[in-house]
Amino acid sequence: MGQPDPALRSRPQRSLTLRRLAPGPLKALALGLWGVALLQSYLSGRLDLLLRAVFHPLVWASGLLLLLLAAVELSGRWRDASRTSGRWTSLLSIGAALAVLALPPRPSFADLAANRQANLLEEPGLSFVLPPAQRSLTDWVRLLRSEPDPRLYAGDPVRISGFVLPIEGEEPHLARLLVRCCLVDAVPVGLPVRWPPDQPRPRPDEWLRLEGVMVSETIGGRQRSAVKASRVVPIPRPRQPLEP
Amino acid sequence: MLLERWRSLLDHRFLDLRVMGVERLATTWALFQALLVEAMPFLLIGVALSSLARWISPGGKWVRALPAHPLLGPLSGAALGFALPACECGNVPMARHLLVKGAPIATALGFLFAAPVLNPIVLASTWAAFPDQPWLLAARPLGAVLIAVALATLLRLLPDSQLLQPALLEERRLSQPLAEVTLLERRSGLIGAPAGGATSVVAGSSRRPPLGQVLSHGGAEFLELALLLVMGCAIAALVQTLVPRQWLIAVGGAPTLSILSLMLLSLVVSVCSSVDAFLALGFAAQVTPGAVLAFLLLGPVMDLKLVGLFSILLRPRAILLTAGAASLVVLLIGQWVNLILL
Repeated sequence: MGQPDPALRSRPQRSLTLRRLAPGPLKALALGLWGVALLQSYLSGRLDLLLRAVFHPLVWASGLLLLLLAAVELSGRWRDASRTSGRWTSLLSIGAALAVLALPPRPSFADLAANRQANLLEEPGLSFVLPPAQRSLTDWVRLLRSEPDPRLYAGDPVRISGFVLPIEGEEPHLARLLVRCCLVDAVPVGLPVRWPPDQPRPRPDEWLRLEGVMVSETIGGRQRSAVKASRVVPIPRPRQPLEP
Repeated sequence: MLLERWRSLLDHRFLDLRVMGVERLATTWALFQALLVEAMPFLLIGVALSSLARWISPGGKWVRALPAHPLLGPLSGAALGFALPACECGNVPMARHLLVKGAPIATALGFLFAAPVLNPIVLASTWAAFPDQPWLLAARPLGAVLIAVALATLLRLLPDSQLLQPALLEERRLSQPLAEVTLLERRSGLIGAPAGGATSVVAGSSRRPPLGQVLSHGGAEFLELALLLVMGCAIAALVQTLVPRQWLIAVGGAPTLSILSLMLLSLVVSVCSSVDAFLALGFAAQVTPGAVLAFLLLGPVMDLKLVGLFSILLRPRAILLTAGAASLVVLLIGQWVNLILL
């Protein structure tokens, strides 16, 4: 009798801690972290690298819904005893969500493009044609595809930006990734470039802005348009690097 | 201060995989995240729909009233896609709900396999991607129904215990009339008391549960499926980075090979059925029409990302059977289309 054994006294404390960890709060944490991961990918601009803008509302709305589910779970009032997701499910989910939060996507566009078939543009062409100096790289590729005769464009001023895409057996192209849904379906479109001889060779995946003129060149007995660059400026990767 | 430090760690060299000289790994990680953030909202939509169904009709009487006829069952399951639009990830929780509530198995399978195509969102996106190819807009849903009927018929040949996951089967038995459960399957005697007590509240009761409880249930379901989705996306991203896509589209002109290669591509790429038509548009000109259709038909039924999700419904043997049979039917449909159109 008298004072209870200290070991016995600490037991309720420990079991309380364990109970706090299991399984409701863990589930709330897992749901909350997934919600935060989705919202954070939207707010931080990571989503611009992964998904076309038209799908972004789906992602942030899902993030909010998951936070709501986490709040419901955390309140404990409505906890559904009939369906307790296992502690391991919650723990693994927490791990996965933390990894998504902690490791931002940093794809190598050149590496991705090397694994994809280029020039898969299906669009028949532009509905209207911008003045040469205002055309983006994608505009140029679409135009050249719909009307490929290089003589039509020889001497036109060019101001484009893109990433450096190494091409086997020739000089690197300047390219962009076209995306219809997400990074998974990205396909590269590129323009051949005659790089200025007095400048160092561009590094793969480097983002550049080029100024120059369109020229006609013959490769393998076939004429094609290429950009003769007079000015090459390194630029940071644009906020929205994927093109629709 | 701590936040600043953490942010600088995230955004700079320490965790930048490219600096570690593992560019390929960094690209794989980005592809994984792209697949995940694309699919997760659709998974959540599916969980929301199944939760809504649980809230509106807790006893699931309408589910058990669905036809059990071998042909009408899968057809009515497929038609449910129009009422419950979700892509293939979202369909898994809904199909699970149908099975738990005692829907005829063929009907639930019909829904699982055909509804990812037979829903307004997917048909609209197919039309938007291929407005000048009306045959595709008709062939895609027709093919999906054909595959669903074939798979449902085939999988019904397996006994329930070899088809459905044990946990699902146990939940399902609680929703079935006692007369439909054999004596050996009744673990809790003849009075129909809930077995194991794991699922009694939801499955047994026809009283509308509080909304908060339905949300809590949905949360648990989401976590379970999200984990499987993570695994599927990881595998799909890894395979995509390792296998050059040119290999898969290079044989575009050859009728049979093009179908096989695009079937393989649909297994690997694993994008949701609501957006896959836009992806198919990208290589439609390089491959045969049968191959494009095969891509649009097989992806919604089976892909690397789905294998994990299916494991919550079906036993491994049934998943293998589904993959094999779906591939065969899709190949035949693709061949037939090529025969007509080429």
